[in-house]
Amino acid sequence: MIWLRRSVQGLVLLIFLALLAANRPTTGTAPESPVGIFFDLDPLVLVGTWLATRSFADLSLLGLATLLVSVILGRVFCGWFCPFGTLHNMMGSLRRQFRKVRPRVEGYSRWQRAKYFVLVALLLMAVFGAPWFGVLDPFSVLYRSLTVSVLPVCHVMVSAVANAIYMSDPHLGSMHLRDLTEPFYIWWQDSVTGADIRPFQGSGLIFLIFTAALVFNLVRNRFWCRYICPTGALLGLVSWRPILRLVSDSESCNSCGACTMSCPAAAQPEKPDEWLGSECFGCWNCVGSCKNASLDFKFTLPGRGPAQGAIDLGKRRTMAAVAAGAGTLAMMRITPDSQGATNNPKLIRPPGARPEREFLQRCIQCSMCMEACPTGGLQPTWHEAGLEGVWTPMLVPAIGYCEYECHACGQVCPTGAIMPLTIEEKKQVKIGLAFFDTSRCLPYAYGRECIVCEEHCPVKNKAITFELRESKQRDGTVKTLKFPRVDPELCIGCGICETKCVFQDRAAILVTSAGESRNPDNQPLLSGASDSYESFDEEFSDDPYGSQ
Amino acid sequence: MSTTTRRDFLKTSALVGGGLLLTDPTSLLAQEATAQANMAITHWDPALLPEADLAGVATRLTEATMEAMGGMGRFVSKGDVVWVKPNIGWNRRPELAANTNPDVVGTLVRLCLEAGAKSVKVGDHTCNPARQCYRTSGIAKAAEDAGARVVYLDKKRFRDVKLGGEFLDEWPLYTEVMDADLVLNVPVLKHHGLTEASMAMKNYMGIIGGQRNAWHQNMAACLCDITRFMKPTITVLDAVRTLTAHGPQGGNPDDVKLVGTMAASTDIVALDAFGASVLGHEPSAITNIQAAHDQGLGTMDWQSLSPIERTLS
Repeated sequence: MIWLRRSVQGLVLLIFLALLAANRPTTGTAPESPVGIFFDLDPLVLVGTWLATRSFADLSLLGLATLLVSVILGRVFCGWFCPFGTLHNMMGSLRRQFRKVRPRVEGYSRWQRAKYFVLVALLLMAVFGAPWFGVLDPFSVLYRSLTVSVLPVCHVMVSAVANAIYMSDPHLGSMHLRDLTEPFYIWWQDSVTGADIRPFQGSGLIFLIFTAALVFNLVRNRFWCRYICPTGALLGLVSWRPILRLVSDSESCNSCGACTMSCPAAAQPEKPDEWLGSECFGCWNCVGSCKNASLDFKFTLPGRGPAQGAIDLGKRRTMAAVAAGAGTLAMMRITPDSQGATNNPKLIRPPGARPEREFLQRCIQCSMCMEACPTGGLQPTWHEAGLEGVWTPMLVPAIGYCEYECHACGQVCPTGAIMPLTIEEKKQVKIGLAFFDTSRCLPYAYGRECIVCEEHCPVKNKAITFELRESKQRDGTVKTLKFPRVDPELCIGCGICETKCVFQDRAAILVTSAGESRNPDNQPLLSGASDSYESFDEEFSDDPYGSQ
Repeated sequence: MSTTTRRDFLKTSALVGGGLLLTDPTSLLAQEATAQANMAITHWDPALLPEADLAGVATRLTEATMEAMGGMGRFVSKGDVVWVKPNIGWNRRPELAANTNPDVVGTLVRLCLEAGAKSVKVGDHTCNPARQCYRTSGIAKAAEDAGARVVYLDKKRFRDVKLGGEFLDEWPLYTEVMDADLVLNVPVLKHHGLTEASMAMKNYMGIIGGQRNAWHQNMAACLCDITRFMKPTITVLDAVRTLTAHGPQGGNPDDVKLVGTMAASTDIVALDAFGASVLGHEPSAITNIQAAHDQGLGTMDWQSLSPIERTLS
């Protein structure tokens, strides 16, 4: 049974990684594989997003199946399925391999209640529209960490080695080393990461948190799952009295303690009447470790079966968790942006992102959109959307732009925070507006030709036009130059002008969030009835911007 | 020394072989070609063009143009590695004429392989993400179907090369392109916001790295330097569809004009000059053409090459 479990865990982890790779940027449209299936199955995503939006619209109900399975089988989701849990298991095995110390007893600690308080605080925040549970949801943590840190790290290493071998071309006669490395490198780019290394800002912190979560297994086996994981806590609540229970035969038990030592969850298998159903991962370690076959999992009818241990959260502690959640959220909301006093110019949301408040109700900070973005321009925020919106996606045109013929981010978003627009709909959405810094722009500031921005502008009939003007040079000669200008009616804020500007330190044309379709309070330029913001609303009135 | 001899020998034999094949007296075209044409222009009958199957038109125009130039064997030797360099700069469909016609590229690949090339590679330094450009343009499929290997350029594989130009001394170029025996430059004829017309000389910007956007500050001089360095022996111009406004990227189908013409020349400046005239410009109005003419890289008086001009139907 334990080997069966390990096989299932390994397989699920591989599927998780394969689907992550399948979400690499390819054609600019939706990947063919069900890349978001793990988030569909995640019960915390379902419950949290429902609490935030009070609607099942654009939500997968597969999470209900996970809840149902947990009611019957307990937290097998944690023990058999969760790929983050599997990584923790692997760390635990490493500990046993490398630290040749006597296994120690890690009994139940009351600190394990912490995860329930974390859950309560996060759900309270969700009720008020901040799905901060994405910051701690295990699938989000894993997907985000792999996307913005682990994969780029691997890509940097692979490409450094492959390029070094290619460029130096070590060979023995007609045998070239690069004939071996090139096929692998091409496979890696075509099947794993996509072509270009996509660096992410703030990836260091995300990587540190991820590493810390893994390293803490050296302190306590499956530290994250026992003490922190809010999804585990949610499943613990519904599997308080599971149908499949651990039953022990007290006559054959010689109290050797092997089960306790093998239990990664500290679920007290050694105490016949105090086994903790809400903590147990159903991993079968205890059954496997018992020399006397005193333990087994058996189906029991609700209300029947042996007594169980219970976790007493305590009314006062629970209320404290509620208060902590409310206080944290209120603290996050006292920013000028949250209160509508300002609009952060850098907060350029991906095309199809809902109005900010609705967007934050849904975004679970999973980074799926960032993984799918072909230019690497979608980056995790740090403070730009306030602490409430940490690690949500924003376009940073200095790094990469929004490709005109691509709508991948909205197609892969698992919660509909970015709406799945068609390519033609997406081309109508303004995510920002470009403006020139004429104190740097070459024709204005240095009397030279350029118009690289105009060349790259993808909009039909060009949102960057130019005017022929005479420019007097230092030696008195007069040159006729093309002076570029932005047409605010046509500019959609894709940012390619900023990305491609010849100034690579700070572009002479910059894009900010001004004029974004989703925000009626960020419209500096007066437009008549034919404005695209209005017509977009009418055309897609079943899912309009700006309405709650 | 010995390698040069071998290469020269192969080239000579290929030329002789090609010449023998082309002395078929039934073909007027072939007789002209034996005189080693320096330029060939092939049109599709404009009256039939709107109804025509464009893929077939592009293929036949390309074949006829290369045949008029004396066959691909004149430029490709047995065992050569050929880099076909279309314009694949933009994530645009073929109908929008921002990239070279995929059937033109496919046909050229096939002709190179038929002429005995060891391998044919197709690649460009794109402006939009490469994999999307190669796919949307239809060039990835056409090239692979014809037997080429599609190469996506890697940022780390440009090497500083001494150009020794009049303006630029050194610039990073793509290593794999430099390693090829022949670079077959095949641009699409289109409008360009800065230079008014973008053709073969401008298409060389797809083999350079570095901060290439800075070339816009002195485009004519930079294009002359790269052209002088590349010493093209044959250049092919795709004017099956041309982009007449909002280039080099376009995006508006109304800007695309169906012309149905292919041209090739041993003189890249003459070819660009012809392209400029198709777009309705005096060649001298395009600064890089005028500069190249002045620097002796070729002649912008393309008619002086007495091009073989034919119309197919």
